[in-house]
Parts: sequence; structure tokens; C-alpha cells
Amino acid sequence: MKYTFNKSKLLIILIMMLSGGNIVAGEFPEKGDMVKGAKSWSDNCMRCHNLRDASELRDDQWITTVFHMRVRSGLTGQEARDIITFLQNSN
Amino acid sequence: MRKLFNNKSVALVSLVSILVPSMGYTSSELDELRQEVENLRNEVAEANEWRQSNTLIHLAGYADMGYVNSDTPGDDGSFNVGTFSPIFHYQYRDLVMLEAELELKIEDDAGTDIALEYLTVDWFVNDHLVLLAGKFLSPIGQFRQNLHPSWINKLPSAPPGFGHDGAAPVSDLGVQGRGGFHIGKMKATYAIYMGNGPELKAEIEPEAGDSTVIDAIELDGVEAEAFGVDRDGKKVIGGRFSVFPSPELEIGLSLLTGKATVTEFEAGEFTGVEPSLGSEPARNYDVSGVDFSWRNPSMEVRGEYANTEVAEAVSSNSPEAAEWTAYYLQYAYQFLNGKYEVAIRYSDFNSPHASADQEQVALGLNRLFSNNFIGKLALESNDNQNAGRDADDRWLVQLSYGF
Repeated sequence: MKYTFNKSKLLIILIMMLSGGNIVAGEFPEKGDMVKGAKSWSDNCMRCHNLRDASELRDDQWITTVFHMRVRSGLTGQEARDIITFLQNSN
Repeated sequence: MRKLFNNKSVALVSLVSILVPSMGYTSSELDELRQEVENLRNEVAEANEWRQSNTLIHLAGYADMGYVNSDTPGDDGSFNVGTFSPIFHYQYRDLVMLEAELELKIEDDAGTDIALEYLTVDWFVNDHLVLLAGKFLSPIGQFRQNLHPSWINKLPSAPPGFGHDGAAPVSDLGVQGRGGFHIGKMKATYAIYMGNGPELKAEIEPEAGDSTVIDAIELDGVEAEAFGVDRDGKKVIGGRFSVFPSPELEIGLSLLTGKATVTEFEAGEFTGVEPSLGSEPARNYDVSGVDFSWRNPSMEVRGEYANTEVAEAVSSNSPEAAEWTAYYLQYAYQFLNGKYEVAIRYSDFNSPHASADQEQVALGLNRLFSNNFIGKLALESNDNQNAGRDADDRWLVQLSYGF
């Protein structure tokens, strides 16, 4: 009985390891550079519109907003992560 | 980072819960405190749920309303609702995002018009490439894809030729790759797409004195909005490339090429039998454009040029070529600590039909109640010298809010 239990346990662990990228997810997006983010925010965001105050949105809302703007304005992934880090640390 | 929940409150209430037996609290007061602790625990759980969720949901968008008065005889002015445009974002981690924008408008006859402005699935492939599939705003030029939302546009109206019936395509349905990268210290962006492309509309001119006989059929317009089916089976390919010589300056170049076919006749005053559309050939369709913008924290200068050409087609009922051209130059300046803004825009639109041409000077004064809530007052001077008349000059007032 004990042997069977361990086999099942090992099987579950194996499945979790193989699919761990999605099941046991880490934080996303990866943390960026706040100082570079402040500069990218200033350089890129006011190119089309008035700068939005960091306190307007929650941390999670800034993620979707900046990803939306990554598509719109051609931000690189790194610029997007830097800007998100800056805004999340400034709101 | 602002905390969604104040953990000190939990500690305080817990401490009170532990101490209260010796403080002479009644059992009902203890129940209330226990309930409060439970509520706070639930709030903590909810806050953690938001922070740790792999799927993020967000509602953004913009809306505007205003008043328009023109010098057209009989026009005494009307209040209007421009658009209400909610934008839905559904994002799974940093892998994929679904974006959808609706456009709701009140029509002149009190009905409501609902349109799907765009709907795309955006796959974030790597740091320099996002693949989009679906209906997207045309990446040709700047105004359509980035500047048309009312809380961004410095004036209450779109420049002639850059609206829904102009020289620049509005949207398309297909696939698109876009992103940004650095060339040394210089930033560059790109967008390349393949789509169903536009359809052409031709106008039937009847003979003078006999509305049942065709005098001529001329190309009337390019319907460059995303069609759900590619009726001529000819795709268009194009995109935009831009560079930033300095963070303040952007210069963009747009090109689009493909085929387009006449799919609709506008009968107008013609009352006879319309010719068959089945024999209409696909003809060359090309768009080119350049744009630039320069700005510092208080000043902005931008301009854009777009040209659409449809080639001749001998076997078509409307065999002649046609060309649409539009451009605008715009200057805006914020003053009094960014609370006010003046904007001036000159634009010119030329089409194959002189009656549709428009030359416009627009002057605007904006009050920025906040960076995303803006009141606008503008005067448009519209002329159509090609048709030998002054077009309608207009006063416009608009309140716009981006959220």
C-alpha cells in the first residue's frame, strides 16, 4: 500500500514538473528597471497623449494597460517591463 | 506600491480579539469583532486573488459629447454624443491578450449604431514581435491607429481625409506583426500586415434628360474598412516603419499595395438597369504615406500625408484611374501649468470628385481638467474651392474623457 502511494505521488510530481511552467507560475511580467522605466514612460507615452498619473490605476491594471500600449506604440518587451515597474512603484 | 489591504488593521483587530475577554466586552460585541475579522480576512483573500491571477481583465476606453453649430442655412446647432468606445482587455500572463473596442454612436434618427472598431488576439512572441490576428486599426500612418480617440485628438474632429471616408485606410482584417527595436541609440518601430483589403464603390452618372441611360461610371470611393470576406480573393500587404532620431522626434513611412475591385454601384439619380458587378476586374490599389511628430512637455508639432491610388482597368465599367490625397499639419501648445492648450490644424483633402474636396483650418482652445478629461472649443473654417463654394464653417464644443 505504501509503495503504491509513493508511485502515485511521484507521478503527480512528474506531471507538475513537466507542466510546471503554467501550473506553478511565477510573477509576471518579470521585474524591470524602474529608472529606465521612468525615462521610457516619459519618452514614449507623451508622444501621442498626455501622461497619465501613476496613481490612476492599480498594479494589475497597469499591466494590461502597458501591454496594450506595447502593441500600439511599438514598445519593446523590455521597455514595457521597465515602464510597468516604474508605474507600479509610483502609484 | 499602494497596498490593496492594510495588514496592520488585521493585526490590530486580532489583538483586540485576544484581549477583549479581559476587557469586559459583551458576547454580541465579540461577535461583531469576529465578523469584522472575518470580513477583513475575505478582503485579504480577494486582494491576493487579484495580485496572483494569471488572467487579467481590464476595461478602458473613452467617450465624448458636445455641441456643433455650422453656418449652413437652417442649422441652429445640435447637441451630440460623439462616441462611447469601451475597450476590453483580457490578458493571460505575458503571453497573449485579447483586445476589443466597441464604438457606440447615437444616430440622427435617434437610433444607436454599434460597431466593432477592432478585435484582435495579440500573441507576445518575444521582446521585439507581437503577432496580431483579427480586425485591427490600419497601421498606415499615425492618426487612425493612435490619435483618433477623442481624449487624445487635440481637436473635436478628425482631419479631412483621415476619417472613415478618406485617403487613408481605416482598418483591415487579417494578420499583423509589429514591434520595436533599437539601432544603436536610435529606436525604430515596425508594423507589417496582410489583410482582405478594401472594396471600391463607383457612381453611375445618368445622361442629361434621361435618367435611365448611363452617361458614365466613375470611381466614387475606397471603402477601406475591414471586410469580413475577401470578395475578390486579392489580399493587400503593407505596413509602417518609423524611426526616432531623438526621443522627441518620430518619422514614419507607410506603404500598402494589393488589388481592389468595384463591388457596389451608387445609383444616385440613375433609374435604369445597373450593369453587372460580376465582370468587374481586380485592379491595382496602392497607398503611400509619411508622417512625423515632434514634441516636448508643452509643445507638439505633427503632420501626416496619405495618398491612395486606384489604377485604370480597361475592362471595368468605370475604367479610369482615381486618386485620393490628404495631409494635415498640427501645432499644439499647453500653458498655465498644462491646464490650457491651444491647437491649430491645417488640412487639405482632394478626391476624384471636386464636391468631396475640403480645405480646412481648425482653431481650438482646450481646458485640461485632468490629463484624460478635456473640454474643447474649436472653430473650423471649411472651404471647397474646387467645387466653387465655401463649405460649412462650424463651431464645435466637446467634452472628452479617456478611462
